Amino acid sequence: MLVPVFTLKLNHKILPRMVALGRYDGTHPCLAAATQAGKVFIHNPHARGQRINTNRMVQSNQDSDISLLNINQGITCLTSGVLNPQLGYDCLLVGTQTNLLAYDVYNNSDLFYREVSDGANAIVLGKLGDISPPLAIIGGNCALQGFDYEGNDRFWTVTGDNVRSLALCDFDDDGKTELLVGSEDFDIRVFKEDEIVAEMSETETITALSPMYGSRFGYALANGTVGVYNKAARYWRIKSKNQAMSIHAFDLNSDGVCELITGWSNGKVDARSDRTGEVIFKDNFASSIAGLVEGDYRMDGTTQLICCSIDGEVRGYLPGGEEMKGNLMDTSAEQDLIRELSQKKQNLLLELKNYEENTKAELNTQLKEADGQRGLIPANTQLQTALSVNLGSDSQSAHVELCISTTNDTIIRAVLIFAEGIFEGESHVVHPSLQNLSGCVRVPLTPPKDVPVDLHIKAFVGYRNSTQFHVFELTRQLPRFSMYALSSPDLATEPLSFVNCTMNERPQRIVMWLNQSFLLPEDAEFQSAPFQVCFTSLRNAGQLCIKIKPGGEISINTDDIDLAGDIIQSMASFLAIEDLQVEADFPAYFEELRKVLVKVDEHHSVNQRITADMAELSNLIRSMLVQAEDARLLGDMKNMKTRYSELYDLNRDLINQYKIRCNNHTELLNNLKAVNQAIQRAGRLRVGKPKTQVISACRDAIRSNNFNTLFRIMRVGTASS
Amino acid sequence: MEPSLARVDYLQVGVTAQKTMRLLPASGKKATQKVVVGDQDGVVTCFGIKKGEAVPVFKTLPGQKISRLELGGALNTPQEKIFVAVGSEVRGFTKRGKQFLSFETNLTESIKAMYISGADLFLCASYIYNHYCDCKDQHYFLSGDKINDVLCLPVDKVNCITPVLACQDRVLRVLQGSDLLYEVELPGPPTVLALSNGNGGDSGEEIVYGTSDGKLGVTQITGTKAIPRWEIGNEKKRGGILCIDSFDILGDGVKELLVGRDDGMIEIYSFESADDPVLRHDYALSESIASIQGGCVGKDGYDEILAATYSGWLTGLTTEPVHREGGSGEELKLSQEMQNKISSLRNELEQLQIKVLQEREKYQQSSHSSTAVSSVPAFSVNDKFTLNKDDASYSLILEVQTAIDNVLVQSDVPLDLLDVDKNSAVVSFSSCDSEVSETKEPNSNFLLATYRCQANTTRLELKVRSIEGQYGTLQAYVTPRIQPKTCQVHQYQIKPLSLHQRTHSIDQDRPMNTLILKGQFSFAEIHSWVVFCLPEVPEKTPAGECITFYFQNTFLGTQLESTYRKGEGYFKSDNISTISILKDVFSKEATKRKINLNMSYDVNEESVRHTLKLIHPKLEYQQLLAKKVHLIDALRELQVHEGNVDFLLPKYRSILEEADQLLEEYKRQPAHLERLYGMITDLFIDKFKFKGTNVKTKVPLLLETLDGCDQDGLIAFFDAA
Repeated sequence: MLVPVFTLKLNHKILPRMVALGRYDGTHPCLAAATQAGKVFIHNPHARGQRINTNRMVQSNQDSDISLLNINQGITCLTSGVLNPQLGYDCLLVGTQTNLLAYDVYNNSDLFYREVSDGANAIVLGKLGDISPPLAIIGGNCALQGFDYEGNDRFWTVTGDNVRSLALCDFDDDGKTELLVGSEDFDIRVFKEDEIVAEMSETETITALSPMYGSRFGYALANGTVGVYNKAARYWRIKSKNQAMSIHAFDLNSDGVCELITGWSNGKVDARSDRTGEVIFKDNFASSIAGLVEGDYRMDGTTQLICCSIDGEVRGYLPGGEEMKGNLMDTSAEQDLIRELSQKKQNLLLELKNYEENTKAELNTQLKEADGQRGLIPANTQLQTALSVNLGSDSQSAHVELCISTTNDTIIRAVLIFAEGIFEGESHVVHPSLQNLSGCVRVPLTPPKDVPVDLHIKAFVGYRNSTQFHVFELTRQLPRFSMYALSSPDLATEPLSFVNCTMNERPQRIVMWLNQSFLLPEDAEFQSAPFQVCFTSLRNAGQLCIKIKPGGEISINTDDIDLAGDIIQSMASFLAIEDLQVEADFPAYFEELRKVLVKVDEHHSVNQRITADMAELSNLIRSMLVQAEDARLLGDMKNMKTRYSELYDLNRDLINQYKIRCNNHTELLNNLKAVNQAIQRAGRLRVGKPKTQVISACRDAIRSNNFNTLFRIMRVGTASS
Repeated sequence: MEPSLARVDYLQVGVTAQKTMRLLPASGKKATQKVVVGDQDGVVTCFGIKKGEAVPVFKTLPGQKISRLELGGALNTPQEKIFVAVGSEVRGFTKRGKQFLSFETNLTESIKAMYISGADLFLCASYIYNHYCDCKDQHYFLSGDKINDVLCLPVDKVNCITPVLACQDRVLRVLQGSDLLYEVELPGPPTVLALSNGNGGDSGEEIVYGTSDGKLGVTQITGTKAIPRWEIGNEKKRGGILCIDSFDILGDGVKELLVGRDDGMIEIYSFESADDPVLRHDYALSESIASIQGGCVGKDGYDEILAATYSGWLTGLTTEPVHREGGSGEELKLSQEMQNKISSLRNELEQLQIKVLQEREKYQQSSHSSTAVSSVPAFSVNDKFTLNKDDASYSLILEVQTAIDNVLVQSDVPLDLLDVDKNSAVVSFSSCDSEVSETKEPNSNFLLATYRCQANTTRLELKVRSIEGQYGTLQAYVTPRIQPKTCQVHQYQIKPLSLHQRTHSIDQDRPMNTLILKGQFSFAEIHSWVVFCLPEVPEKTPAGECITFYFQNTFLGTQLESTYRKGEGYFKSDNISTISILKDVFSKEATKRKINLNMSYDVNEESVRHTLKLIHPKLEYQQLLAKKVHLIDALRELQVHEGNVDFLLPKYRSILEEADQLLEEYKRQPAHLERLYGMITDLFIDKFKFKGTNVKTKVPLLLETLDGCDQDGLIAFFDAA
């Protein structure tokens, strides 16, 4: 069995996901981790007592191996690595809600300190695509930003929601790395420099991403799922009731292939095969895992897997050698195999016995009361399901209705629906009380997002007094746009906003897409252009019209820019369209955006004013303090008193201003997020190249503060007419 | 010396009940012993181990399930006759499998426990004990509560027949002939009895007992009274004890005590001195240990512990050293044996698979026929629903012979479902209010949760917290992973006084409130009401005219005495809320049966003060604990900041020192404070309810006072309101 080669107790708390290993002097690996009170500690067991205390760095009083770095702000992300290839050693990067610090630990100096208005929720360091110097890429509120070693902004783009995880991985096997971005809208997006090349929808916030090798990468979600993707296809995933805190790829069994190592919130660490997800090794810590890194911490030429818990416990594992034959666990593999095979045999025997009993029961064909209790039901019982749109009533809002019914007098005791993303948990249960039992159960569904969902239905079928039930299992797919009900076209309420585009596609194919993506009472058929369908949203009663004009022009009318984007993207992937330019106008939304932009300007100027005020006040305080102390030394108590009370007032003012500044800042952040989202939405109305162009053109327009150009770009896709 | 035991899985039979596996004494020159086991398919299997493989000696035909299996024979000869209890019948087999006895007893119920000593046969059904000599009825006894196990002190040492019954109401009943000699009070409901050291010790009077709440002890049964020798509590919160054996597995000349528990733990206790057991070794299997015995099975010269689990696995823990590596000839042979075993298993599986596929097809086809029926295969679920004294919560343990797919938990009373560290199933709570029923009547669901189990989970443990006064049913729908898919529902009553537990005596000096019932009801009727209200009361109406039960509230430590007979009942408690709940339930029950009840109560003002004094220290302790835990993080931050803690007040320093224990304790009793608040509020309301005033409006005021209020202040508030 694999045991740790070293164990350390660092006596410092470690914040989850904020651990990094770096050779800050070029040779000695040190462990850097964020701890409480806005500090970073660096554990350097190799050079004892050589450190001197200077501006940021303070030697810890408790432990000579540990130095503390004061950041004085809540740390949100941390990493280390080579940022400047000429330096020859690693630097430490620390992100906070407002700033990014690149720090040279060896020389104890800042490489750069940049303000990042979108915050830094996640950070990754490395080479991206064709951009030559390594970049420190941070992900904030809907935005991605990359800095080189001088702190120059070399990369910028937007994404759908707040970024929670980042990784660099050669996604398309072209020898260059792509950027993987996991965000709070449950999507993993792949950026080839600033172009999105793939998007994978998951079921929860993506909290961690880790490249494995080649185009494989591991991911972890907030609901306890971890898994492995190869390109856009998922190999496997597992779900635990605990949360995955950190994932890392490491070859623990020396078979030449990396395993996915996961550190869990309950203190478990496990290594899973990249192909199957089978556990090949596990260990337990006393508290939650904070981070997993790898490095040669003992300086003996071997690489260890280093696991850190939030309580500061650190364990290093060496990969299992030849003699372990890849068998890292305590039990003998053969014993396990025998057990597994025997279990299988037992299961098959049981199944066989079940069929035998069934034939026995069949001989006695009369259904009796007692049989009902045992769960005897007619063999031709079937479970039928139907999906429909229910427009709701006074007591109930509009919803999609799933109707499940049996074909005879049997009843449905309970229905379990397992589906991801549309319920609070992963399942929804309908359990009628005894007097409400019947052969038909209607389940209201209200998917919060427009994504296709697989409903795994388990229905317990039997009789009223049964203690055993048959479990009918089936899977239904909820179409992507199921929350839109077909309505009759009405010119008066037709939305003013529109997206127009021309696709070189037969209209029949577009109607096919329509039938597949919406819940229509009966399949629509294309007779001749013009063709028009209208829908009403079940969420907010908004209108949606899709028209196909003669000549192949398609127009989508809706006031919901997100919906329009979803429709364009869904159509494009169904029809396999690579590039699509559109013309769009969303007057109401654009007006709102204009207001937001004005507000952003206001907030910026307010911010500047307050900063100036504060600087002034702090100068005043300084001089006031000197005066007060002078008065005290001179024994002029009366003067001292008045000075100190003035000082008190000044201090209060300062605190008030600080509060105003805080509020101003949060609002500013929200507005900036809205701007970033707007750019992203404008991008989503297009596909392929035009999409990338729109995003970068929008950024330029915002930089030059040219709002009219911005809206023009959003409308037609380019700045020039 | 630490024993090193290696696990070997020999064979799987059907589901086994408690105490259904024994080792036959070694015969002749052969030193290895044969194993004989009876399962719930009614099959008795006897096998030996040759070259690591199980070689059957005999196997009987399937039939009714076997509830016990014992060995017997004439006194002072090898005990090698096999006796099994099947239904109400006892069958005897020779060691070669020849049936020599079929004894149809006159018991109307099926046999639950059996003990054999020479020509004497001791049998127990649920409440009835019968003693037969040479199959002739000798003695008879009716127990007050369910009998779990029976044994008889060794006749050769004690010189008279002294049977001991282990009864569910926490007593051992020692009999003489048909009469009760005396009762021995135990700390928990005994589930298993064994002779100490295998022979009852030097005097032959010492017996070991194990309880369903995991306690273990030895007591000496003398002619007139019992002398307790030692007792071990259940500090580690392990499962209930199912089987006990004495065997010298460590080879130190003293027999160790082997214990098997229902959570899969096997424990070995050794004795430094006679009354001082020390836990030397434990080993965890994944399912309940139904039977255990020490002996020599697998290989000549190596002792081992053989355990039979619930799902029928016969597993050995052998002292035979297992080398995984190294290339000695014997080891290679061993792995060759393994390979043979695996390949033969694979072959078997393949054939089975084909057979199952055929049957499956047949089954599918039958669904087209309109006359055929489809039955649900029965599977056995081993369940246990018990109140934990330590944290006043219920634990529900479900164990199935094959892997569980999912469990749906539904309740019609408000219950809290707590997380259990041990179980790995993914839990998902479903909302209970969004259901639509056909009749628009409420479905009265207060809890709907699904547990989706990981592969190979056969045992699931849930924890449930109830509130006294709110009663109903908890239902668990268990779906295992077998085809055809079925589910079984199991129901558990949440009684009105759910947190009460039976005790042997109560403190008579406390101030008591009394509820007196008078009316035209029979003894059976009032007993059924008590059964309805309180846990751990035997369902059978007790013999005699009058009965008294004592109870203790596991959460608050308050007590209840209930004495009743035909036409009248007295219920005394120092907690006025208990009386109030009883009063409500009794009047509801009586109204249901249209019985005119005359209820009078005697409220003792002093009792409220007394109960408050009982609760307040707990409250104060919890409040302090919560405060301390709240401070830990801040103090730790200070510690990091300042480097040491010398400047802190001693009380804060002590918090830092005890931080881990405090956190541990806080985690162990979630919502403890809220529950205490709830109970004090109930007490407050109930106190005034008996006076006829409604004080619900004053509850917010009470909650305000509770925060940081001393005992006198609280009492004053109760008096003043």
